[in-house]
Amino acid sequence: MDIVAALGRPAVVVATGFAALTAALFAFGTARARYDLLVAGRRASIATAGFVAVAAVALSAALFAHDFSYEYVANYSSRSLTGPYTFSALWGGMEGSLLFWTLLLAVFAAASLRSATTKGMSPRLVGAAGAVLAGLTLFFLVLLVIPADPFVRLSPAPADGSGLNPLLQSPGMLIHPPLLYTGFVGFSIPFAFAVGALVMKRLEDVWFTSTRRWTLLAWSALSIGIVLGGAWAYTELGWGGYWAWDPVENASFLPWLTATAYLHSVVIQEKRRMFKIWNISLILITYMLAVFGTFLTRSGILSSIHTFTEGPIGKWFLPFLAAMLLGGVALVMWRLDSLKSENRFDAVISRETAFLANNVLFVVAAFTVLWGTIYPIVAEALWGTRLSVGPPFFNRVFVPIALALLLLAGVGPLISWRSMRARALGRVSTGPALVAVVLVVVLAIAGIRSWGALIAFGLCAFTAASIVTEFVRGGRVYRKREKVSWIPAVGRTLVRNRRRYGGYVVHLGIVLIVLGVAGGAFRTERDAHLSQGESFRVGDYRLVYEDLNESRNDEKQIAITSIGVFRDGERVTTMRPQRNLHFAQEQWQSEIAIRTTPIEDLYVVTTTIDPDGAASIRAFVNPLTWWIWAGAFVMAAGMAIILTGRVAAPVLERKKARVGEAIPVSR
Amino acid sequence: MKLPALTLLLLVVAAGPAAAAPEDLANEVSAEVMSPYCDGVTLHDCPSRAALELRDRIEGWARDGWSKSQIMAELEREFGPGIHATPQDKEGVAAWVLPAAALLVGVAVAAALAMRWTRRRGAEQPEPVDPSDHARVERELAALREETP
Repeated sequence: MDIVAALGRPAVVVATGFAALTAALFAFGTARARYDLLVAGRRASIATAGFVAVAAVALSAALFAHDFSYEYVANYSSRSLTGPYTFSALWGGMEGSLLFWTLLLAVFAAASLRSATTKGMSPRLVGAAGAVLAGLTLFFLVLLVIPADPFVRLSPAPADGSGLNPLLQSPGMLIHPPLLYTGFVGFSIPFAFAVGALVMKRLEDVWFTSTRRWTLLAWSALSIGIVLGGAWAYTELGWGGYWAWDPVENASFLPWLTATAYLHSVVIQEKRRMFKIWNISLILITYMLAVFGTFLTRSGILSSIHTFTEGPIGKWFLPFLAAMLLGGVALVMWRLDSLKSENRFDAVISRETAFLANNVLFVVAAFTVLWGTIYPIVAEALWGTRLSVGPPFFNRVFVPIALALLLLAGVGPLISWRSMRARALGRVSTGPALVAVVLVVVLAIAGIRSWGALIAFGLCAFTAASIVTEFVRGGRVYRKREKVSWIPAVGRTLVRNRRRYGGYVVHLGIVLIVLGVAGGAFRTERDAHLSQGESFRVGDYRLVYEDLNESRNDEKQIAITSIGVFRDGERVTTMRPQRNLHFAQEQWQSEIAIRTTPIEDLYVVTTTIDPDGAASIRAFVNPLTWWIWAGAFVMAAGMAIILTGRVAAPVLERKKARVGEAIPVSR
Repeated sequence: MKLPALTLLLLVVAAGPAAAAPEDLANEVSAEVMSPYCDGVTLHDCPSRAALELRDRIEGWARDGWSKSQIMAELEREFGPGIHATPQDKEGVAAWVLPAAALLVGVAVAAALAMRWTRRRGAEQPEPVDPSDHARVERELAALREETP
């Protein structure tokens, strides 16, 4: 018996039915205050997740069994594909990635509804959010049933599959897409609770305090996913960079920008009861941008190196997006009176104003990236001209905004809440500003000629000094109060206020990333076409093409070029970039060789090899790139610190729940 | 703070731009044009053999002493205006104007809101605070900030 056929598509169809049932149970239960229906809805959401999981297991089983009678398996795997990459084929193509997305959505929905219930949130608010989550799950399941069925059969079945794109057969690709999907899908939880809060007019803090951990988790996953995507591009694509402002990259960056704005501005709502309209709008926009990004990259409306998964689902996404946008705007307008701020600013110079400025810049940055991404379509629609909007555009419009944000990350911690005098701000800023000025002067004297890099290095120094100042201030208090040395004092500062100081650690990670990016201003690169024994120079290095070794296995033909690296006449190392021909895809791929240090990366790629053994070699010296990945680790540590902190429970909601509104967790 | 800022400005101005080597000019140009051979990728980032040959041709022009604008003009003549990686001409104006306008509007709205909210707040305070009281509160707040990590 064909287990995959018996379980795969039937499980998707049954899950679709359960998602529809879940939505109906939650909607009626919420409207009629029928808690028995809400309990049933929660159980139905668990059943939905269960059946989607069965479908995902079935597709994975087909992949591992090399059952090429399934079109998806034939298109995205082959007999030569090794274990982990066979599994990663689950999200290597459009249908599989949509199934994976739906699996995450269904599981997150069931888990968040349970956790919201146990936290004592109003059952009707949970019900409304449950209906939204079930509606979202239903949409993706309908896609899997009609236009993007991953269980389509082929007859006759081919003997072998086309295999996974060789570029995707990289360790980074085992983690990068799941993290991006976790980020995109994770934002559906605060989105659903925000919509639920608007529908039920429960616009106190509960919707965002209860979903804070989900928001942080989604943001952290997306952040790490984006950096891993950059690392993958750097180590696999062979052009010496990590970010090309490709539409796929922009699609992940857009929700990250608005989510980051939200994570900052929600602090104002917690502390001052302000920015309520802004916050709820930001979280709605964030999820819509996550879906919009999927539409951009899956519909084939824009072309990029990633559009190997073009498909017929664009026409399904457009009305879905329109409904979310119009519905979101209508809901916010409907509840405008309940979303008014309860406080006002006390002074122009205050932490609140810094957060406001931060939000303006993040939202303008998001708009700029969105505008640049869709501008070719807009220009084509308006003037019939297909224009190109490439990295130079994005760099020119985005970098100034990013530098202003970095300045704010340095100034923000120094400003008091509510009010601060200009003189006091000047006093606390003097130390970090001096550090920045001294560094810039030293660098300028040392011969640094790039304005942009000097400003970036100066701002990095200012922000890092400001963060260190904050840790020193905190540590000093613990030293005095608890009579401990500096290290435990700073440790206690961090541990006892994880959210604030974890946030500073994240900022420190961003500083390091900017440092690494600014190092790109000093990049050197050279191309050369060499016969064996010939050499060329890049930066301070002389590269000698010493040897060529060719071999083949079942999967590919491998050509390893040995490049001797010399500096001041001394051999530094031997690098071995490869040029491989993958038989299944009939595709050439370069395996890059990188010698990495905190000061600079030497990056060598063999772009072509002639029949006589002569090779085209491309080499880059990328200063400070190492700090980008180090910054990402620091950011991840900061996120872990924040995520392991305690999240305040919504006290008011808990009290209300205690007086008889709560849904039993299990019955 | 004025002296270091002035020193910095002088140093940076004095540093000035360095003359580009032909290879560097070729790399700069190839990063500012889209590849005719790889969809949606700059010529610099395109891995195809044809792109490699075009980069070599650009480097050759740079060695012959062509300026950046001459090379750009030649590429536009050969491949059309779509070769530019940044929007050009009248069709491209909106691409540049809207982000700048969004930034200006955003900053203006935020500034107006902050001013309005703080003015209202000021109007709600009927009596000015005694300067000695204010100084004491500032001192105590500063002490409190010191003690609150």
